[in-house]
Amino acid sequence: MSILKKWRFWSSLLILLFCYVAITPNFQNNDSSNKINYGLDIQGGNSFLLELSEDVFKNNLLLKIVSQLELDYNLRSIINGDQIELNNSQDLSKLNNQVLQSMGLILDNKSETTSTIVLDNQYFKKSISDMTLNAVEIIRSRVDFLGNKELSIQKTGLNRILLEIPGNLDQNVKELISKTAKLNFHIEKDSYIDTFVLENTDTGEFVRVMSRPSLTGDYLQDASLQYDNNSPVVSFSLNKAGADIFGDLTSKNVGKRIAIVLDGSLISAPVVRDTISGGAGVISGNFTNEEANNLAIILKSGSLPTDITIIQEKQVGPSLGKEGVTKGVYASVIALIAITVFMIAYYKVSGLFTAISIVICLLLLFSLMSLMNATLTLPGVIGIVLTIGMCVDANVLVYERIKENFINKSDDPKNDGFNSAFITILDSNLTTLFAAVFLFAFGFGPIRGFSISLIIGIFSSLVVTYVILKFFLEIVPINRTGLKLK
Amino acid sequence: MIDFFKYRKISYIASSVFIIITILLIFFKGLNLGIDFKGGFNVEVRSDLNNQDLNSIFSQIDSSREVIVKKELSSNVFSIRIESGSGDKVFLDVVKDKISNLQNVEILMSEYIEPTFSKDLIQNSLYALLSSILVIAFYIWIRFDWQFAFAGIMALLHDVFLAIGFMSLFNIEFNLTMIAAILLIAGYSINDTIVLFDRLRTLTSKEDVKINLPLMINNSIFLNLRRTILTSFTTILALVCLVILAPVNLTEMPIVFIFGVLIGTYSSIFLALPTISVLNYESVLKSRDS
Repeated sequence: MSILKKWRFWSSLLILLFCYVAITPNFQNNDSSNKINYGLDIQGGNSFLLELSEDVFKNNLLLKIVSQLELDYNLRSIINGDQIELNNSQDLSKLNNQVLQSMGLILDNKSETTSTIVLDNQYFKKSISDMTLNAVEIIRSRVDFLGNKELSIQKTGLNRILLEIPGNLDQNVKELISKTAKLNFHIEKDSYIDTFVLENTDTGEFVRVMSRPSLTGDYLQDASLQYDNNSPVVSFSLNKAGADIFGDLTSKNVGKRIAIVLDGSLISAPVVRDTISGGAGVISGNFTNEEANNLAIILKSGSLPTDITIIQEKQVGPSLGKEGVTKGVYASVIALIAITVFMIAYYKVSGLFTAISIVICLLLLFSLMSLMNATLTLPGVIGIVLTIGMCVDANVLVYERIKENFINKSDDPKNDGFNSAFITILDSNLTTLFAAVFLFAFGFGPIRGFSISLIIGIFSSLVVTYVILKFFLEIVPINRTGLKLK
Repeated sequence: MIDFFKYRKISYIASSVFIIITILLIFFKGLNLGIDFKGGFNVEVRSDLNNQDLNSIFSQIDSSREVIVKKELSSNVFSIRIESGSGDKVFLDVVKDKISNLQNVEILMSEYIEPTFSKDLIQNSLYALLSSILVIAFYIWIRFDWQFAFAGIMALLHDVFLAIGFMSLFNIEFNLTMIAAILLIAGYSINDTIVLFDRLRTLTSKEDVKINLPLMINNSIFLNLRRTILTSFTTILALVCLVILAPVNLTEMPIVFIFGVLIGTYSSIFLALPTISVLNYESVLKSRDS
């Protein structure tokens, strides 16, 4: 049989086999990574886009550098905007270029009286990027308790984190993820020098404390929810160094109050009754169960290096997505049937080739999406319906060219027609493909979902046209294709 | 045979008029910007109440915020947009709390976008749009000639611009999904144009033919006319299915795209191809022959 000698026959078989292998995992109940993911707009769920403040981070970094200059090099400096200024009367010779470079700094300007140093931009960008990666881990440990396996958390852009939690949420995770969780202990001080007043707006409790914290949350080792007389409290333990500081602190300040401050607001200010050695303590406030639990979780996960804000949040109920998909599938099936009926009525047998091509094109599209573990979203469904359109267009171009070649009495109307039409198809599809690739690179959210299915769709359509449609045209005698004019 | 080339002046005038109308629309009526580009809240609810009831329910939550209620096509789903203001952080929780007490309103989806982030999204979308148009122009320039690239991009921009005017005219919400629709229109428009360009290139590259560009342009259009009609028809067929059956909050995208298909077909035939002759492509062909 000559059919066995045709490479398109074997390729077509290979494509079908590939589709079968690639699509199967979607129907199996295992944790295979080669499945199509469904976007939150389809399966329902929550997404949060978090932004870590660049300004606050920069400020913290500058403060750290100023104190490092003082400690390591005995140099006094001040922060002016995003620059550090040093008085030239000091011995600046220690601060050579090598030292500056190691600290990620650049000497910006040297006037008669002051030297100005700034952060090296590249170093700063890298610090932000590292800080964000670090924050991803902190946020991950904060939401870990949800036990949601499909939860996804990733860094996007320089200083943003995208958190996606499929399904319905009982707990309010916003509280957990949007807190910096900077814990400070300030000792009460009855003076107006270097002090400030903290007030708890809920309870009305207020206390005047030293500006500088005596102990910070950096020394925290663990925190957990406990009950004290049936009311929830958070117990914490400090590491060795922290325990020493805390012991020293409490022994010197018996009878004074110690303010426990989270992200700048006072939680409570208990009186120190006795020296606390061993580094264990309890934070009690007027907590509800959930509040105390959340506090324990965020303290345990550690504090974020900068302020964090939710810049986008979205909650999709499960019914909306389900309805959307059902309708999308109906729309695709009906569009498919309508187009098939029309094409068969217009092109007879060749119309049937088109119908088969569309089905295989869709199979290939889903296979590739499964293999790439791509995410299907509602705009993506629209992209798929358009893939059907592009596939039909390719068929129409080929058929019309073949018909034309009959009129022009070409020697080999089928092959000439296919080849010349395929150049046109390639040109027009590649242009759209390039545009879609750029869309994917720059786009966000729905634009991405749409462009990914368009990219894979165009590719599938090209492959199917080149292999399967041509195969049909090769094996079916020209008189039976319905393309020859009588 | 129809002399398409003859109508170029009429189509240039018609398109100019359309463009002026679009400019006036954008200038005076403006675009119905969604929260993607303006920031704020968007809540989709299912309810058997009417627009006014819902508006008063949501206005009561915070009277300082502007509330816009829109009923989605052919369903009992409403899209409620609430502007951004002070206390955004907890506002969504307040809304959900209030609505959970109501029997006849069910929240399907809720979304918040911070106004500063929406500025990023605008910038992002513009980058996406401009970069893909540049890539298209570059590809056509490489594969064809600069006259083709210029004519193709002009037709594409014309289509995109009129589609934006269409959205303004019918008060269709302009959001990220619509950016995707616009890009789709750009893709379709250029697709259609390139099919014709390709035909013109084949016709003009034949040797021992007396160059008559207007005639060749007419031929290219005429020979492809059936394909143009069939493809537009089948695409619109698929889109009509989507309009009738699309997910509730995505019905407008296919409608805009149907407009795009029609305008894209028009611009390829009546704007893109004649422009190649207007740009004096004849001289390129003649210099190649001699």
